[in-house]
Amino acid sequence: MEDLQYVILKRERFHDFISRLSKMQKLVAPVSKGYHHFAFEEVTSGNEIALSYIPTILPLKKFFMPQRETLLEFKTAKGTYAEPVVEYEPMTIFGAHTCDLAGIQCLNMVFSERPKDYNYLTRKNKITLIGLECNAYCDEHASCHLVNASFPSGGYDLFFTDLEDYFIVHVNTQTGDEIIDIIKSFEKADMSHIKELKRLRDNKSKIFSNEVSIERRHIPELFDMSFRARVWKALEERCLACGNCTNVCPTCYCFDIRDELELNLKRGVRYRVWDSCQLEPFARVAGGINFRKERSARQRHRYYRKFRYPVDRFSRFFCTGCGRCTRTCMAGISLKETLNELIKESEDRVWKKWL
Amino acid sequence: MKKPKVGIFDFACCEGCQLQIANIGEDVLDVLGSIDVVEWREVMSEKWGKNLDIAIVEGSITNPHAVKRIQRIRKKAKILIAYGSCATIGGVNGMKNNFNLDDIRKYVYGDSYRFFPTEMTKAVHQTVKVDYFVNGCPVYIPEFVAVLKAVLQGVPYYVPDYPVCVECKLNENVCMYDRKVTCLGPVTRAGCNAWCINNGNICYGCRGMVSNPNEKGAQDVLAKYKIPMDLILNKMNMYNKCRELG
Repeated sequence: MEDLQYVILKRERFHDFISRLSKMQKLVAPVSKGYHHFAFEEVTSGNEIALSYIPTILPLKKFFMPQRETLLEFKTAKGTYAEPVVEYEPMTIFGAHTCDLAGIQCLNMVFSERPKDYNYLTRKNKITLIGLECNAYCDEHASCHLVNASFPSGGYDLFFTDLEDYFIVHVNTQTGDEIIDIIKSFEKADMSHIKELKRLRDNKSKIFSNEVSIERRHIPELFDMSFRARVWKALEERCLACGNCTNVCPTCYCFDIRDELELNLKRGVRYRVWDSCQLEPFARVAGGINFRKERSARQRHRYYRKFRYPVDRFSRFFCTGCGRCTRTCMAGISLKETLNELIKESEDRVWKKWL
Repeated sequence: MKKPKVGIFDFACCEGCQLQIANIGEDVLDVLGSIDVVEWREVMSEKWGKNLDIAIVEGSITNPHAVKRIQRIRKKAKILIAYGSCATIGGVNGMKNNFNLDDIRKYVYGDSYRFFPTEMTKAVHQTVKVDYFVNGCPVYIPEFVAVLKAVLQGVPYYVPDYPVCVECKLNENVCMYDRKVTCLGPVTRAGCNAWCINNGNICYGCRGMVSNPNEKGAQDVLAKYKIPMDLILNKMNMYNKCRELG
């Protein structure tokens, strides 16, 4: 039964596959931006794609919840007129790593909660997702194994694993199946291919291990006792509050909603834009009060939103271990380091209790 | 609704920000359609001299004559918009404040320097009350239009109080520091959509600094990238010298 879900694509047919895929609908894939940076951008040929890449500057959320999105068109004249708007564009994303697939799974949960976000959900249904396996770590900043995102676990239509001479492709949905049918570049996988995939995965389980010395199930507990940890105070002096860590995070979804009128003040649009809990005005409220004025409190909030609060609400971490926040931070605030320091501090505390 | 009467004035500046209005393109008709421009030295010879709904002021205040003139404009205008870096933060004219005023006068005017009184360069709000700020050198037209809309609606416009990095990241630029280039984005107020960096340039800090910069953290970052403090201070002073005046 299992092998029915697998097909293979010979390496020499990859470029052919990509150009055909790009003719079906808009295709985006990781491309190099130079200086060892990558971004998901529109492509029409396989040459443009960086098959071996570290997580892109912005994660896939830029396609699922654009940086600026119109929600409503309205008129200001007497008698209300307001028309909801849903902006979407059918597209295929090729080359999503497991960390980014996990990120979309998180966003799906958030925006499916009631009241449902139809703008997000409509757009999501128009996007075809093709994953690409990481055969080894991208770099030292990743912590995908800690949060259970180093191996594929759904959330895609097709999933590619690079086995040098060919790609083995897992067909996960009807949409994925249709692509295989239409493009006709694929062949049936046989047992030898499946075995080779299994060999790669066995080898991967040797390479990937918990990047931070804590068992996954103990993380919520660690955060339960760390709210007043010194670690957060230390971040106060380092964080520049630039918001890079949240903008590049695959699961940060906070947004602001604004109205904008045309110059004649007769018509306008309501739109939403990305917002960030790290920015100075985020928690500034009426009367000029800011309930998260200290950068340390904002950073702490970010970590709790990844490792503690979503555990209660969605039964999963909202960190996908992609390492983007660490890579992008000018001040060098590292997620792995922060977790390690929290562990150390909590151990000290437990130890002192016994003395 | 009656169109507001608008006067556009210039002080010490290059008048480039006024020119930006002509660069608006197609939307210039909508902009000029929403206001009634009654005085604008750069493009028309008429003088108004009466009360105004809106005064748009470009340039910084650099001598006693300018102080009196801006006070007169303030008295006549219901709303005053500081327009462009020179007006909002003092801009490049602030570099004068690095020198002794007499020395700089002699350097510029030679022997007849006594006939040219001068003062420390100030931003407009350091002299009279300002209601709206349009930052930038030159101004970023979409932001000018946003401010104009706010004025017409009678609501405040908040200049983003977070660094250019935010908008730069949304544009998915490779960070200048990762390209081994120094950039003032991390301490400069956003609102320009990272215009310069999108076009391959660095941020020069023309929009002024965020209200609550982490100076200690910024120094650590400079140290990490082995950038001397003097270099950054010089870069910052190019536009931001007047901030020392408070």
